[in-house]
Amino acid sequence: MDIVCGLKKFFTLFRSSSQPVLPFTVLFKKFRSILERNNLILELMADMGDKLGGEYIFDSQFVVDSTGRISDLVFKLISDLCVMTQSEIVDLFVAFERIQFQIQEELAGRRAVPVTKPVLLLDELNGDFSEEAGNKFANLGEIRNTLDLPTMDGFVVTTRSFFDFMEANGLFKHIEKGLAELDLADESILEAFCEEVRRRILSGTMPRHIVSAIHAALDIICGRNRANTLRFAVRSSAWGEDSEFSFAGQYESVLNVPRKGVIDAWREVAASVYTPEALRYRLHRGYRESETAMAVGCQLMVEAEVSGAMYTYAPVAAETEAMVISAAWGLGEAVVSGTAESDTIFLDRLPPHRVLSIEAGHKASKIIGEQNGGTAWVDVPEELQDAACLSGEYIQRLAQTAAMIERYYRRPQDVEWAIDRQGNLFILQSRPLNVKPTQPELHRPHIDNAALSAQALFSGKGTVVQGGVASGTVYVTATDDDLKDFPFGAILVAHHTSPKYSRIMRKARAILTDIGSATGHMATLAREYRVPTVVDTGIATKVLKTGDVVTLDAIRNVVYAGTVKELSQFEITQEEVFEETYEYRMLKRVLKKVTPLNLVDPNSEIFRAARCQTFHDITRFVHEKAVESLIDLSENYQRYHDKGSKRLKYPIPLDLTIIDIGKGTSALPEAKSLTLEQVTSTPMKALLEGLIESRMWETAPVAVDMGSFMSSFSRTFSSTMARPEDVGRNLAVVSDTYMNLHLRLGYHFSILDSYIGEEINDNYIYFRFLGGVSTVERRSRRAKFIADVMVGFDFLAEIHGDLIVGRLKKLSRERMVGRMKVLGGLIGYTRQLDVNMTSDERIDFHLADFMQRIHVLKEVRDDAPMCELRPGNRDFDSRR
Amino acid sequence: MPPCANCARETEILILDDEPIVCKRLKPAFQKAGYAVETFNDSASALTRVEEKRFDIVITDLKMEGADGMVFLSRVKELYPETGIIVITGFATSETAKESFRKGAFDFVAKPFKLGDILDAVRRFEESRKKD
Repeated sequence: MDIVCGLKKFFTLFRSSSQPVLPFTVLFKKFRSILERNNLILELMADMGDKLGGEYIFDSQFVVDSTGRISDLVFKLISDLCVMTQSEIVDLFVAFERIQFQIQEELAGRRAVPVTKPVLLLDELNGDFSEEAGNKFANLGEIRNTLDLPTMDGFVVTTRSFFDFMEANGLFKHIEKGLAELDLADESILEAFCEEVRRRILSGTMPRHIVSAIHAALDIICGRNRANTLRFAVRSSAWGEDSEFSFAGQYESVLNVPRKGVIDAWREVAASVYTPEALRYRLHRGYRESETAMAVGCQLMVEAEVSGAMYTYAPVAAETEAMVISAAWGLGEAVVSGTAESDTIFLDRLPPHRVLSIEAGHKASKIIGEQNGGTAWVDVPEELQDAACLSGEYIQRLAQTAAMIERYYRRPQDVEWAIDRQGNLFILQSRPLNVKPTQPELHRPHIDNAALSAQALFSGKGTVVQGGVASGTVYVTATDDDLKDFPFGAILVAHHTSPKYSRIMRKARAILTDIGSATGHMATLAREYRVPTVVDTGIATKVLKTGDVVTLDAIRNVVYAGTVKELSQFEITQEEVFEETYEYRMLKRVLKKVTPLNLVDPNSEIFRAARCQTFHDITRFVHEKAVESLIDLSENYQRYHDKGSKRLKYPIPLDLTIIDIGKGTSALPEAKSLTLEQVTSTPMKALLEGLIESRMWETAPVAVDMGSFMSSFSRTFSSTMARPEDVGRNLAVVSDTYMNLHLRLGYHFSILDSYIGEEINDNYIYFRFLGGVSTVERRSRRAKFIADVMVGFDFLAEIHGDLIVGRLKKLSRERMVGRMKVLGGLIGYTRQLDVNMTSDERIDFHLADFMQRIHVLKEVRDDAPMCELRPGNRDFDSRR
Repeated sequence: MPPCANCARETEILILDDEPIVCKRLKPAFQKAGYAVETFNDSASALTRVEEKRFDIVITDLKMEGADGMVFLSRVKELYPETGIIVITGFATSETAKESFRKGAFDFVAKPFKLGDILDAVRRFEESRKKD
């Protein structure tokens, strides 16, 4: 290749980077395709999530097929974005391949080793850590860190460490070989095999990095708890344990372990994975070896005076619904293993938890922790042997605590607890209780009757995203940024749906929104967390105020004032008892790589391609980037559009040129001009009609004082200034459903980018308003007025000086059209407004004036929730 | 207990699907609703069973290892024209649906389906029997 050729090539390359290679129409098509795929992916996710509800029957083929379809769509989505932004987004493809690989491993039934540290402190855990810390300690982390209930300090040696240990000692290979070759139906062979595996675990070498991580954690715990003779409870926390299956009593716990004995205790617990009972239990329930992993929790011992267990739903005759407590002196092992007599207390499930019966057992001996580690049985002093070990006060505290845990998990619970010498209550663990409450569906008619006497605030509004029942205190949020103080157990009432609400999904008892779609990002999350949710009610934030106590019945879609006691029993029963099948667990695991959303806030540091951990993350990232890129492109389209443009003949001198990129006008291709009637683009038509129908153009803002004279003066002045040749021509790119408009009127410059079609999820209006000849104060007053109006019509508005950015998403076509017409009116009203904004009071005056006059639009009159200004929403500076 | 159309005994259902999960979940659901249920994971043993015994309703998957569901369906119809056949399949094309109706299937349910869907199909069949 000669130098000239090389140089040419270089310059070609150089040029191509400075301007898009593809025509706008093509890029726009890619954008549309991204929107479509985005919706398909969200729908598929919702569809797969539905299957976890328990009412569906699906096979593994379904899981394989649906994940195949989703990954195909996600891949194409990324490719579309590459074309649109004319760049290779390597990080996105890498993230895609990583997730894809993990899913394939799951589908193939291979062991998926969680990426995590060898040891996690209990303070770091919550319910999301079941892979790393096992269900038992993930739950305990939730109880400690989310519910803020008292638990003992400690840490978890993760499943990752279990894998590393087993791998380092060649144990997985040994076990796989054994399982494949041995006849395990033969009891003696099974037992000999298990014995052999356990011996190898007990004598196995612990990899050094795990040893040092355990010592580091022990240092932290000992440092925090300043005692030299600390003792630990070392407990199992296997995958699947305390979840769908209890595995109760299958795995080992080692109590009262001194610091130096912790690693040996770990081996003992790990070895209990391979007792003949545990192995049989797993084989019997279709658990595969790749689904077996043991995390081990290590917590400070409670020097228990009294301990025991509590069922929030006593397994007794159906007509008597009760809680039951078992309690005994000393450590709880005697009660849990059922080896000694204990007290039995029945009490009401509903507050104030009246005691129904107390039966004191004869407690002749108890288990205590010995000085040098280990436990021992000792005699109970005679006077205490037949005495009840719990006072009424403690019974109440236990009942309230257990009820709180039950409400949180929405399922009956089996809670283990202990009380120390100082009288402090500690939760040792809580697991779902495998009793099914009496079938509430049978009581439904009775409950509906009872609910009739409750006051329904509204019903049948919007779309149920996740069924269920919840009562609680309303928390109305004005923006999705003010969630730091969201109280636990509250009902979130928000104007719009936002994926940012994932932050409080674990705290919220229910969610209600005014607008939003049932297949959006937030809806997927609500299903994932099983939070009863209704979206698009139109009126939730108007009817409900922070502090109201309400009951949401998201089965019948009714919101009642107050707590409807009869409905409250549905809170724990709507949650289907998980299906106990391999397919179910497989779907659940695969969905973990698909649906969780980590990239929530586009302005945050982590909103990057490389940080995508799930398909949902990628989808959200691409969507955000595509919108950004389209706005970028359209701002520069004049340089390279390839469609013939037409002038609009319009009663108002907008001086507008329209470029039709697809079914946006009915004018002939060669025509040089068109009329309003020939505009078929939904958003463009709505805007232009709004401008005329609102009659805001002809009549300037009503003036009531000296300013009136000034304003009429300056109006004349500025309309002469705003001759077309001074401002350049106005341009719109339209299709049947899309409009991108750059509009300069007088001294105001607006950009409007909007899509309005039949698919709610696609619909959006993006509005940017800037400029004006006036003082800074007046312009910012005008900005505030515009933001006030937009918020009144459901926009999210952001003000930076005299720049206003308004965004509106996910409303039905009709409601979008209504709002676009309002924007038409607003553009007309504001064109001279800044010179009129002489004082802050003018903001309110114009706001009232505009709101009253905009009622001339039929759409505004018909759309009741529209056009009511919400009080208390006047502070826009931090608003996004 | 829903009685069969003409007598006081339970309605008897045979379920054939090579995905064990389908049988595993359908069996208790139908039993709870008052039906007598037998389930099979392979068409050979299901064929042997229908040669011995008449069922009121047969629920079968279409695509399976070994004898095709379509073959099984035809054989059942041949033996017992009165038996109601409900086809469940993960490959729901209009072609397979048409063919199974042509071969005499009463209803067609696409996988994945809701428990309620298939219970409804069975009840619809019982209703239609009563009318005849």
